[in-house]
Amino acid sequence: MHELNWGLPVILYLFLAGLGAGAVTVSGSVLLRKGGFHDSRMDIARYGALIGPIPVMLGTFLIVFELGQPFRALNLFKMLNLSPMSIGTWALALFIILSGLYAICFIPRQATWPWLGKARRVLAWLCVPLGISVAIYTGVLLGAMPARPFWNSPILAGLFVLSALSTGTAAIMLMVALFGEKSAEHREGRENDQYLLVSSDALLLGGEMLVIFLFLMFAHLTIGDVRHAVEVILPGGSLASLFWWGVVLIGILFPFVMELFQVVPKLLYGRTFRSSLVLEVAVALSVLAGGFALRYIIVVAGQVTGPTTL
Amino acid sequence: MNDQEKPDTSRRGFVQLLAGGAVAATAASALGSLAPAGGAESTAKQSRIQYGMLIDTRRCIGCHSCSVACKAEFDVPLGVNKSWVEYTEKGTFPNVNRHFLPRLCNHCSEPQCVAVCPTGATYKRPQDGIVVVDSGLCIGCKYCIQACPYDARFLNPVTNFADKCDFCIHRVSKGLLPSCVNSCIGGARIFGDVNDPESEISRQIAANAVTVLRPGKGTEPNVYYIEADITEEAENSDGSYRVRVSTHRSIKERR
Ligand code: SF4
Ligand code: SF4
Ligand code: SF4
Repeated sequence: MHELNWGLPVILYLFLAGLGAGAVTVSGSVLLRKGGFHDSRMDIARYGALIGPIPVMLGTFLIVFELGQPFRALNLFKMLNLSPMSIGTWALALFIILSGLYAICFIPRQATWPWLGKARRVLAWLCVPLGISVAIYTGVLLGAMPARPFWNSPILAGLFVLSALSTGTAAIMLMVALFGEKSAEHREGRENDQYLLVSSDALLLGGEMLVIFLFLMFAHLTIGDVRHAVEVILPGGSLASLFWWGVVLIGILFPFVMELFQVVPKLLYGRTFRSSLVLEVAVALSVLAGGFALRYIIVVAGQVTGPTTL
Repeated sequence: MNDQEKPDTSRRGFVQLLAGGAVAATAASALGSLAPAGGAESTAKQSRIQYGMLIDTRRCIGCHSCSVACKAEFDVPLGVNKSWVEYTEKGTFPNVNRHFLPRLCNHCSEPQCVAVCPTGATYKRPQDGIVVVDSGLCIGCKYCIQACPYDARFLNPVTNFADKCDFCIHRVSKGLLPSCVNSCIGGARIFGDVNDPESEISRQIAANAVTVLRPGKGTEPNVYYIEADITEEAENSDGSYRVRVSTHRSIKERR
């Protein structure tokens, strides 16, 4: 067994930063799409903005203290070079500051003062690209190393963005389900919100399935290091059961089928969208669990495999 | 100005790169009007030193003098090594064979560890091509450890910085040989400037069939081997003969 230079703190960081960046990105996109002044869908934008920065900060705290020299972390800001970790650090720092301000703008539910609505929009314009950068750079960071065949693929960054957006959406879904306006007069708005979240999440999970399929297929069809590396998640490999049960079944297939089950009647037959609290919570939790399992598998698999010939 | 020395690819700060580019451009235009092209610069390029090592595995007896000398030279903590020896055992009795492969950082010409380091702590020294870690900058993020295709790096458990072989700069700069070369009882290690065609190492490289490790990774190593046996354990998957690769490091497998 190889030693793991990057362990649980890094795995948690990848998961939490992806989730938070995804939630803020979804929030910002929804806000900008709706002009930011309408009450409907305000819950999505508001909960996304409010919960997003917390996991990102928590994850950042974890990796700073995972460093061999935690108190040297400021050395990262002494320069900007082409290392994905350097670019990512700057993006992460900017994102933490701006998404924090963005969250503060959402503490009052109504944008009582006109400038508040404007501030929300300006910050949303900044937080969406930064959120995507935070979600993507970790995939580029891992993907950049020929020494790590399991990671060394451009598709990893794509997988990380999709996983970040879908876990972020799931987190918002959970918040809206648990704390959203439940009064009768808001019923329609709430159902619209959930429809938007559930259908987007289904799309994102579909994308994840496609990317994972491509990843497995290319790795399996190739020869040498990459093929040897991917064997750890193929049946018989040491991480196979967590991958197939945790990521594929619980993290993707179950929520995907449940979401289709909710979305399709409205999408195809124009029926009213109906959802239940239990289903929303179950779907959101399984997406979150699957997102964590995915990061776990990728970080570990990359380190227990390596070049096969000297 | 075509012969201008290749810009130092280490410490590639974006800002520094831009600033350096501006300075170089100014210098080039200024010099261009004064000095004829070629001349000083081309000699400068030829005299640019790239230290390297040639390890003749036929002369290695697997005694670990190098491992021990390196440990002693740097007080390398328990459990980690800058210099180590791998054993490759092959065959079935009585047709057996044991081969030794001394390992260390390759001081690559295209070092991946340098490319990924976010702080510029790891860089390739322009004056002699040695890849070093600046412990004043390193944050111990371990990115370089992941990125090195030779597992030549480790996080020093005492200092918590990234650490590895530095070709014994402190000795070499005083005209001494690296500790592992100095102590090698078989004379298996030749150290020198691979850019100088007159050096012992360059002549030996020219006269022998040499290989580097994992050439496919594109790192362009500067540690060369004569008759390196790179058989892998996976090669006996059909069980027709035995292969065992092991090291004395705390992690026994080759990585
Ligand atoms: S062997 Fe590894 S640590 Fe040494 S220069 Fe090459 S990539 Fe860097
Ligand atoms: S551990 Fe140190 S030398 Fe290695 S990449 Fe990180 S900062 Fe650079
Ligand atoms: S050159 Fe020096 S630091 Fe490198 S392996 Fe030899 S003794 Fe150790």
